[in-house]
Amino acid sequence: MKNPVKRITWREIAHQKFLMVCAAFFVIYGIVFYYVPLAGWVMAFQNYKPKDGLFGSQFVGWEKFKFLFSDEVFLRVIRNTLAMGVLNLVATFLMAIIFAILLNEVRNVFGKKIVQTVSYLPHFLSWIIVTGILHDALSSTGIINELLVKFGIMDKPINFFANPSYFWPIVAFANVWKETGWNAIVYLAAITSIDPNLYEAATLDGAGRWGKIWHVTLPSLKPTIMILLIMNIGNVLNAGFEVQYLLGNGLVKSVSETIDIYTLTWGISQNDYSLGTAAGIFKSVVAIILIFGANWIAKRSGENRLF
Amino acid sequence: MKVKLWRCVFTASMSAAMLLGLAACGGSDDAESSDGIKTFTMFTAMPGTEINDDNEIMNIIAEKTGAKLKETWLTGQTDAEAIGTIIAGGEYPDFINGGDAMMSLYDAGVLVPWDDYLEKYPNLKELYTDEEWDSFRQDDGKIYWANVFQNTYGENRSTTHNDQAFWIQARVLEWAGYPEIKTLDQYFDLLESYADANPTMANGTKNIPYTALCEDWRYFCIENAPQFLDGYPNDGSVIVDTDTMQVVDYNTTPTAKRYFQKLNEEYQKGYVDVEFATQTYDEYIAKLSTGAVLGMCDQWWNFAYNVNDVFKQQGLDEQGCNYVPLGLTIDEGMENRWHNYADTLNNSSGVAVTTSCSDIDAAFKFMNDLLDQEIHDLRYWGVEGEDYLVDENGLYYRTEEMRMQCADPAYQASHMCNYSYMPQWLGTSRDGKNAMQPDQQASEFLDSLSTPLQKLFDAYGVDSYVDLIGSVEEEPGPWFPMYSYSGSMTTETPGGVAWVKMGEVKHEWLPKVVMAPDFESAWNEYMTAYNAANPQDFLAEMQTELERRAGL
Amino acid sequence: MKNNSSVTNKVFVVCNVVFLTLFVVITLYPVLNTVALSFNDGIDAIRGGIHLWPRVFSLSNYQTVLNQQNIITGAIISVARTVIGTLLALVTNALLAYIVSRKRFLFRSQLSLFWIITMYVNGGMIPTLILYRSLNLTNSFWVYVIPGMISAFNVLIMRTYMEGLPNALEESAMIDGANDFTIFTRIISPLCKPVYATVALFVAVGQWNSWFDAMLYNRMNAQYTTLQYELMKLLSSVMQQSGSATTGGNTASAAVTPVTVRAAATIVTMLPIILLYPFLQRYFVSGMTIGSVKE
Repeated sequence: MKNPVKRITWREIAHQKFLMVCAAFFVIYGIVFYYVPLAGWVMAFQNYKPKDGLFGSQFVGWEKFKFLFSDEVFLRVIRNTLAMGVLNLVATFLMAIIFAILLNEVRNVFGKKIVQTVSYLPHFLSWIIVTGILHDALSSTGIINELLVKFGIMDKPINFFANPSYFWPIVAFANVWKETGWNAIVYLAAITSIDPNLYEAATLDGAGRWGKIWHVTLPSLKPTIMILLIMNIGNVLNAGFEVQYLLGNGLVKSVSETIDIYTLTWGISQNDYSLGTAAGIFKSVVAIILIFGANWIAKRSGENRLF
Repeated sequence: MKVKLWRCVFTASMSAAMLLGLAACGGSDDAESSDGIKTFTMFTAMPGTEINDDNEIMNIIAEKTGAKLKETWLTGQTDAEAIGTIIAGGEYPDFINGGDAMMSLYDAGVLVPWDDYLEKYPNLKELYTDEEWDSFRQDDGKIYWANVFQNTYGENRSTTHNDQAFWIQARVLEWAGYPEIKTLDQYFDLLESYADANPTMANGTKNIPYTALCEDWRYFCIENAPQFLDGYPNDGSVIVDTDTMQVVDYNTTPTAKRYFQKLNEEYQKGYVDVEFATQTYDEYIAKLSTGAVLGMCDQWWNFAYNVNDVFKQQGLDEQGCNYVPLGLTIDEGMENRWHNYADTLNNSSGVAVTTSCSDIDAAFKFMNDLLDQEIHDLRYWGVEGEDYLVDENGLYYRTEEMRMQCADPAYQASHMCNYSYMPQWLGTSRDGKNAMQPDQQASEFLDSLSTPLQKLFDAYGVDSYVDLIGSVEEEPGPWFPMYSYSGSMTTETPGGVAWVKMGEVKHEWLPKVVMAPDFESAWNEYMTAYNAANPQDFLAEMQTELERRAGL
Repeated sequence: MKNNSSVTNKVFVVCNVVFLTLFVVITLYPVLNTVALSFNDGIDAIRGGIHLWPRVFSLSNYQTVLNQQNIITGAIISVARTVIGTLLALVTNALLAYIVSRKRFLFRSQLSLFWIITMYVNGGMIPTLILYRSLNLTNSFWVYVIPGMISAFNVLIMRTYMEGLPNALEESAMIDGANDFTIFTRIISPLCKPVYATVALFVAVGQWNSWFDAMLYNRMNAQYTTLQYELMKLLSSVMQQSGSATTGGNTASAAVTPVTVRAAATIVTMLPIILLYPFLQRYFVSGMTIGSVKE
């Protein structure tokens, strides 16, 4: 860091009146709408029954957590969630950045607009539509198998959904397919703030296309990338349930079940609100640990950080 | 630029506020409108179709009874979730049907007991016998809700087999000269020989001799056949051995093993659809709709409505692609109980009146009125002359045009008013001739059969699917169906935990067992995993419940 | 040397065009497929195998969607919540982002942390419902726009953008005695149009698409229903019809099925966004507009 931060003086604080008042509003708002409902976490330590309400339900201590962590299925489910969360994170992240940068390299404004408009559309399709098409494409008579057989890569069709080792990549692909264009919007907005003088200077230095991407575009995107990365690291346990639920089947159950599916199976269908809350708390705690960790690493290496 | 931007923002907010004002003025519901007609509200914890506010038959019924009903249905939640949030929110409609979560409503103390009103309103009382009403009593001795379905007035009129069976296409039976197919082995022998002789359909599509759906909760298609093959009715989660009054786990019986071994053998021989384990429900229906699948095990309601529509549209029904049910057993000479003749009384759910209702007596009177024959006919048959005609014998019938119209969702929303989760009757109308509901009218049924089906019915000398399957006609015991208990188990008991785990294990292992190159070792592995789920905890609780229900 | 670089340049352009074309093809396919299904006869669609063109053309899916009761009220409310919700969110999130982007603000990191945590915790459906009820937000329109107004995610995106802005102008304004309000409205905000457009898009899409809140908080109030909730109701009713006997009669068919109605509902939902997008798009496709600031 070049400029050592000066201590904030009282004079400055007096000047921050406007900021302080607004900040106070945002804190009150946040407490009311985000922190007060956390009182509901008490449900995780109860046998919550709607009739008894939050305050009258029987207190059971750590029993719900014990139930979760004594079930070996739950541990396997954590593994699946983490694996798919990380895979999705890496895949969607890389693709969105690559896509944004490559799109930015297109000189034809019309083509650029068309590509961008088309790319974000799948975001609006529900998972059931996307997985339906994917199921079609990957079935034994689908286009993928047809191509594999035609080009002699395989001698007979593969049943992609019967083999557990294909499942995680298929889920990652589905996420990339649906969200790349949408996720790229943030990067495209960030690219607009890059000072054109930087490109000119790079051209003068004899940089080619790659050079400019590498030395101008990417470094300028770095703050956005870092912030999104840190935020999304907190979300790796939110690998979702819909896509896994819709693509999964009995044969791949051991790799397809996520924490959310587990919570649905045990919590919702068995009317056990407390168990779902306990799983939610676990996810929150992990998420907060992860972002603190990521933030700490970012701070140590002098990168942009969240707080 | 700046001025322009702010002007835009201002205009946008103003127009939004105006729209909002408009919308807010649009509706304000009054329980009683100027013409003295009461509007009741109802929430049903099942998905359903809202009818229009100006629905024609709703208004006819309102004129006759002085009340109408505004129904709201379950959307995007489970019944337990919906009821849980309604209780937490503390606002209740006048009528509520909480699906499997009725107990939560009872516990919350928001339901009105029926006992006094049953004496006052004979149509309601008539719904059930005293013993049946008693089965609805809660631990305080009162009745808080009544199930509205599966309730037969007079003679039973069912024509379709709205239950599970091994189904086979009419063309296969026709090809073989309408043989008697009684056992699982005979069934697969026939499928094999037909498929060998006819590898493709007329249009060149390859025939698929057998498929089995394994998706999610619909995996019952592969899972529960062993109970039927042993000659027991659909208790769903266990077999009840009536000699010893013991519950028996149908997943581990010798019959179960023979059944899965048979599937495995057929799979290895290539007669079972290679994608059976990974297909989704939509893919399964699409596959059946091509007419290429010769047979499968399924519930009628799970496939027939969609698939028969497509067959009709594509003319496949005239090629004998329609499915007929077979009452298979594992060995020759056993009784079968695939068809359930009796009403299945699910006393754990039904319609209830809440304490939020401002005129409770009127609410019960309304339910009573809905059971009057005239109103009942309006609800299910519609308006005479518009939706059905009456022939010289007094029999109701619909023209093809009327049938089409009554199936059109727009027409249903604007004209038909079933009040489908209010008390209702199946069976024979009070006039002794017609069926209470059109889909049970025998003449309507026979008219709609395709030629190959009519030939088949003639060949076997039957006139309904029910006759064809040939199940034993008997009333199951008072414990039936046991699944109504397993369905309400929770994770608070070891049995409830075991029940979920057993389901998870089966879901994973049943397809594996069928596909395994070495059946024996796969079966043993499956059994190890299954026993690790502690099925004995589940069975013990089921046994207790059975004894409670049987009054032992 | 120069020759070499122009060759790599050409290779780059060709690869890029190929890559993006491929990308467009595979992302366009599901959309076109949905369009094709939405114009196809429902019963026929059950057979599967429809790709880019309807096999049996029919408008009945759109008729079904547009015949859904309350669809007009729902659309009005949806538009209202989208407009009001987006404006409210934009103003508040931008202001919050401005506060936490002030490097010299005393509680900068505490306030950031306070909001970051909200992204990863939630009290669950039932406590939230109880809270809204006690605040009298249920059975009202405001439940759509007040509670979810601030999203830490959007705030952080805006903050990052603001921090990346050149601070020369701001400093000179400071020296001229401008206060924070003026700096925020007159200097920062005009430069933030691309990121405001991005966040507006995110919020608007979220508002437009959400239906669960309508169901949860305004279940019995037809006057506050939203378009998406009406479509969800329609879809769940079509799904229920296609799997049960309630349609009555053994022969007649409804000709609308979940797959095709879902497709039509999806297209109806997407259309307004597709129409809105070009207006926002110029903020993030044009690019290179900011350089002049520094001079």
